[in-house]
Amino acid sequence: MALDAATFAYPGARTPALLDVSLAIEAGTVTGVTGAVGAGTSTLLLVAGGFAPRLTGGALSGRRDIATNRIGIVFATPWTQLTGLATTVRAEVAFGPASLGRPRGSVLAACGAALRDLGVEHLADRDPASLSGGELQRVVVASVLAMEPELLVLDDPAAELDPAGADALYALLPELARRGTAVLVATPDSERLARTAERVLVMEGGRVTRDGPPAAVLDDTDVARIARAAGCPAPYPLDVAALVARVVR
Amino acid sequence: MSAAPGRGHAVRWEAVRFAYDGVEALRGVSLDVPAGTTLAILGPNGAGKTTLTRLLIGLLRPRAGRVSVGDWDVAAKRPDELAARVGYVFQHADQQLFERTVRRDVAFGPQRLGLGDGGVERALGELGLLGGAESHPYDLPAPARKLVALAGVLAMEPGVLVLDEPTAGLDRAGRDRVIAALRRRSVDGVTVVVVSHDLAFVAEVAERIVVLREGVVVADAPAGRLLGDAAALAPLGLEPPPAAAVGAALGLPGAPIRVEDCAAALGGVRWRGTGA
Amino acid sequence: MIGYVPGASALHRAHPYTPLAIATGLLLMAFAVSAPGAVWVVVAAAALFAASAGVLGTVLRPAAILALPTWVLLTILHGLLGGAPHVMLGPVAFSVPGGERALVFGGRLAAILLAFLTALATVSPARLVEAMTARGVPFGRVYLLVSTLTVVPRLRARVRQIVDAQQCRGLRLGGSPLARLRALGPLVVPLVLSALAEVDEQALALDVRGGTARGRRTALEPPEDSRADRAVRLAVLVAVVAAYAWKFLGAGG
Ligand SMILES: Nc1ncnc2c1ncn2[C@@H]1O[C@H](COP(=O)(O)OP(=O)(O)OP(=O)(O)O)[C@@H](O)[C@H]1O
Ligand SMILES: [Mg+2]
Repeated sequence: MALDAATFAYPGARTPALLDVSLAIEAGTVTGVTGAVGAGTSTLLLVAGGFAPRLTGGALSGRRDIATNRIGIVFATPWTQLTGLATTVRAEVAFGPASLGRPRGSVLAACGAALRDLGVEHLADRDPASLSGGELQRVVVASVLAMEPELLVLDDPAAELDPAGADALYALLPELARRGTAVLVATPDSERLARTAERVLVMEGGRVTRDGPPAAVLDDTDVARIARAAGCPAPYPLDVAALVARVVR
Repeated sequence: MSAAPGRGHAVRWEAVRFAYDGVEALRGVSLDVPAGTTLAILGPNGAGKTTLTRLLIGLLRPRAGRVSVGDWDVAAKRPDELAARVGYVFQHADQQLFERTVRRDVAFGPQRLGLGDGGVERALGELGLLGGAESHPYDLPAPARKLVALAGVLAMEPGVLVLDEPTAGLDRAGRDRVIAALRRRSVDGVTVVVVSHDLAFVAEVAERIVVLREGVVVADAPAGRLLGDAAALAPLGLEPPPAAAVGAALGLPGAPIRVEDCAAALGGVRWRGTGA
Repeated sequence: MIGYVPGASALHRAHPYTPLAIATGLLLMAFAVSAPGAVWVVVAAAALFAASAGVLGTVLRPAAILALPTWVLLTILHGLLGGAPHVMLGPVAFSVPGGERALVFGGRLAAILLAFLTALATVSPARLVEAMTARGVPFGRVYLLVSTLTVVPRLRARVRQIVDAQQCRGLRLGGSPLARLRALGPLVVPLVLSALAEVDEQALALDVRGGTARGRRTALEPPEDSRADRAVRLAVLVAVVAAYAWKFLGAGG
């Protein structure tokens, strides 16, 4: 996936939500995106995944190349992402691969693997409309993973997961990348981003203002805030070990 | 009559059980939260946290046991009556918005309760929403909608605030605003019950922590003690928040769990110049 | 309740096309006959259909609510404006042929409502999707049909959600009928807006999950189309053809 000088505006919007963004996402990598609410991270995901302007309307200028049509996207609002056509979690997760016309056996295998990866096998026979918030988010992520996308775009996919579940999901992303998927994940959770992504894009006002390894571009993990408030000079340590290493004893 | 700030109510669950058809969500929960306390409820997905808090506003009724807010038995009250004492922000808060502009939505509750507009402007200001007050709530990004829902509840000036994952999806700035708003309510004596997976946030606001698992309470301790105790957190599937971890790693005095306390405890430390 | 009601009756377990075929058959029968008595035999058959699925209790209420206004209108219209002979009901001259016509039209309406509400109550949308997918029906058409069939339960869920939210912020519901009516005000706008938003969200959600993919979907658990199912549908077809043959040929010959 590559963008070259991409600018995108939603229909009726006076100012573009994405401004002159150029970037390339390679297969086999995990790229993180972060920024304040409204900075354009969600829009970047929609454009990168080829969903804007196709489904949102609006105007995109610049160049966009997406080298695959197997794209999976998970939005930040799990409660809007059920198909409404499945009465069991299993059928919900199987919906995507079944749409692609895969043989029944491979659909069920992919579905089983995705349920396992997200730790929701025990919910397989439940009605997806009656899950708790975190259970629902897990099922929605599993539903997209089951389609085995080559480009996987995730918007804050662990916002409602318990800490262990969130850690497991973020640990899964490099694993998916190793299997050849290009992963693009947006989240305000700098801690987990610092642990997971090889590269992080920081957005402000629709532009990518920083782009590089987490340690070089992130400065707002809680540890970094502690270090800054305690007078540590930049660059700020992002995690506990890095902070301890900076203290002179 | 609505509870003015400064008059929180005690909240109490007594041997509460609840089941959705076929799913046992609460298997006997008893908790006593004194007025003015800030309680955080933690626990894995599906533990029953949302279920427990929805009982407080009467959206769900216990199958057994008793729930009370101050001297009110919740069973005897409708949600709209309870709204005078309990402000509830849903886990999926944007499903809670229904007006055409942010300001109108925030003003809905105060109008029903016969309160003035002062609370509306204060809540909008506190959460940084004054700039977008005339936009349609659905034109805002999902995390901002969550702040709108919170503002709508703060504006009702309830004696008990119940927030279901108020920081999920929020950026740092939004999270800091929520923290500040909750601390102010706590100073005013409001009782706060907050469900969260975000331990760093919990460390900033909570005095007491309850961990729920499979519908029962598996831990109940003062926040300072539990969050600083990695050994106690581990079996609960939790890790100390960053400030507590830094404090433990460096053996800082006072076992801080909050960012500013930790930074203060680090005050005299000398730093190596670069990260290299 | 207008929509699917889970159950274990033979109709619930049948191939989804079977209850739909029976409902369609009842509709056609209601128009094949024209004597008031015969029309009400069809109504009785529709009620039997509902009872055999164990949903008569659940469909009777919505059927009555939907039919009553029309019945009243039909009775007044045909009874007062119909031709001779008349009977005197107190001061009012009531037309006998008009009354019979009202019985026929009202009966047809009742039969259709009972039949289709029963079909809705017994056909699980998920199984219908699987059944149509297995027959190779394009997904766009499947979705259109199923989302139409499920519109009422989905609206109900939305209403529930908005009402919960409003009550939690102090909106008083219930009380006098006038108070209830007034409470509808704040409900309508958000309901319409959120229904519109939902259409967009749903389209996006389905697109993401390959709903717009070309090519044939895989049916995972296609409902079994048993010999009994096919026999019942054939019987319905035969009965309908026979009734229309009787109606046109019988009357003509
Ligand atoms: N409407 C419902 N019908 C049936 N079961 C439900 C319903 N809502 C919740 N449950 C089940 O009840 C249990 C408790 O759910 P609850 O929403 O209280 O969990 P939670 O602790 O809030 O989880 P999360 O962290 O994921 O939000 C779960 O097993 C859930 O699947
Ligand atoms: Mg919950």
